[in-house]
Formats: sequence, C-alpha cells, structure tokens
Amino acid sequence: MTAEARSAAEPGFPLVAVVSSYPLLAEAVEGALEGIAEVRAFPAGQGDTADFLRLLQPAAVVVDSAEEAEAAAEFAREARATLVHVSLREDRLRLLHAGRWQNLSDGSASPERIRSAVAAGIYLRGVRT
Amino acid sequence: MVADSGPIFRAGVRHLLGRESDFEVFEADAVPVLSQTLAERTPDIALIDLELPPSGGVAAVAGLAPLYETQMILWGFEAPKNSVLAAITAGAKGFLPKEISQAGLIRSLRGVVRGEAPLSRGLATVMIDAVQGLEERDRARERAAALSTREREVLALVAKGARNRQIAEGLSISEFTVKRHMQNILHKLDLPSRRAAGLFYRSAFESAGVVEMERTA
Repeated sequence: MTAEARSAAEPGFPLVAVVSSYPLLAEAVEGALEGIAEVRAFPAGQGDTADFLRLLQPAAVVVDSAEEAEAAAEFAREARATLVHVSLREDRLRLLHAGRWQNLSDGSASPERIRSAVAAGIYLRGVRT
Repeated sequence: MVADSGPIFRAGVRHLLGRESDFEVFEADAVPVLSQTLAERTPDIALIDLELPPSGGVAAVAGLAPLYETQMILWGFEAPKNSVLAAITAGAKGFLPKEISQAGLIRSLRGVVRGEAPLSRGLATVMIDAVQGLEERDRARERAAALSTREREVLALVAKGARNRQIAEGLSISEFTVKRHMQNILHKLDLPSRRAAGLFYRSAFESAGVVEMERTA
C-alpha cells in the first residue's frame, strides 16, 4: 500500500502535505505524525506548489528546498497553515510562524522536532479558527 | 542496518522497512556505532552515508568490509565519480542516491541479498569507464616493461616537460645519450613523437582517477 493510500485510510486527522525531492523525508514525517495527522507526499519541482496547496488546503506543509518553501509560504500566509522547511543537507529546520521565518537552530533536523513544530502549528490553528 | 548521521533519513528508512515483514532495521549515527552493530548483530546489508562521521563512508567501508560479511552499500546526496570508485574499490557493493523512491530502495535492498549491485545507469557508466581505464593502464604498463630502468627515468622526465639538457643534468649523462635513449624509447613503444611518449607515460603511471581511487581506498 502506498503512503498516500495508507494516509487516506485515516479520516478525521488534519492533513499535512510533504513536498519533497526525497521520498524518505515523507516516510520520516509520516512515522513522526502517526496518530496525529494524515500525511500526503508530493514530488518537489513541479512548479505549481502554491496552487495545489490551495486546492488541497493542508493544515501544515513540510518542504525540503528554499524554492518550495518560497512557493508554499504564499499559501501558508493566506491559510495560516504551518510551514516547516527542512534543509536535509545542512541538517537544519526553519518554521514559518505568524508570517515570519524562524530558524530552529538548536539541535538537528529530527523527525521529533518536525512533529513538535507541526503539532504545535496545527493546535494553534485550531485554537484560532 | 542504516548508518547515517541524519535522523530523518534513519527514521525514513526505519518507517519504510518497518512495513516489510522481511526486514529488521538497526541504526547507527557514526562509524563506532556501525562497527559495534556489525559485530553484535551481523546484519545482511549496511546502508552507509557517504558523509558518515567521523571519517566518512568510504573510509568506514574500507575498514569494515574486510571484517564482516555484511553487504555494504553507500548512499549520499551526490555521487561524485571518485567517491563512487573509491567506495567500490574499498568493498562497497553499490551506491544509491538519497533521492531514491521507497519502491526503489526496497527493490535495491532485496536485490543486494540476491547478489545484485545497486548502481544507477550513470554510475554504471562511470564504473565501466574506470574498468576500461584500468585495462588501458595495465596494457600501457606491459608495454613500458620493455624499457630499461634508465629509459624509464628519461621518459618520466619527458612526461614532466623536461628538455634534453635538463634531463642530461638531472641524470648526470650527456645530451647525446639522452637523445639516444629517446630514440630507443620511441622505437620500443612504437610512438611517433616525444609528446606522445609523455602522454603514454602519464596514461601508464599517472592516471588521475586511478591514483585518486587507490589513495582513497
């Protein structure tokens, strides 16, 4: 069963979109958010990230490149969605919070830190709406 | 066994293979943990990051492959030609890109168990080029065996761009003797010119890729 099919079998969870060139990032995020969110993976570099995120309306987005982060930020600001940029090569995370990027510089880019950032963002979004 | 300093890649592999009934995953974030796990758990396959701390994946494979039967595969963000060649020379069974799909990784790992070597088409070409380069070098060295020690010395200096007078001074012989050695070299190697002789020497003894590969290994 594919990641998408598996996640589709879990209705009721907030949706998290992973836009990445590295399918294993989506695997790691899916594992980290098990029981918290439904994770769907999309390949990076397709050029229509902002548009398909508007259609999909995820509660949070995880990307792995500066280009995708820029494209996804448009949607995240409009929808007040959480956006996490994971830089796999530099082993760094940054989070788009209240319209501004925050570097999460203490420690490496671990699945647990992604989970914390995404879960907090989803919770705050729920409180606000 | 997945050995990678990046927790995301370790978690990704663990989560992916956790769904497969025929895999059990161990993890290491550095060479000492990898070494210990190989000794204690003897995994069938080790997927090792090219940049695994502290000394890198190639050095890890060079040190560990002779000691264990575990099939070692390197992986990385990029596949630099010299690193791939060095990895294979060191004992790695293949090289995978970190962009690999879930299905691709599972297929590759199962293939390793069956004795297949995971290499992309591009890397397979690199390997073929390297093997052909080694064969050319061996052929050149066989031809060079016809030269005397003194002729080899002269040829080495020619390859460095030295003129006859410089060679004569360097070897404490006359320029006339250098010319005679040069004629013999061209005749024995069936080469048309001094320049061709210099190129021949470099192909036989200074092949950059091979030197790099042997040093790293």
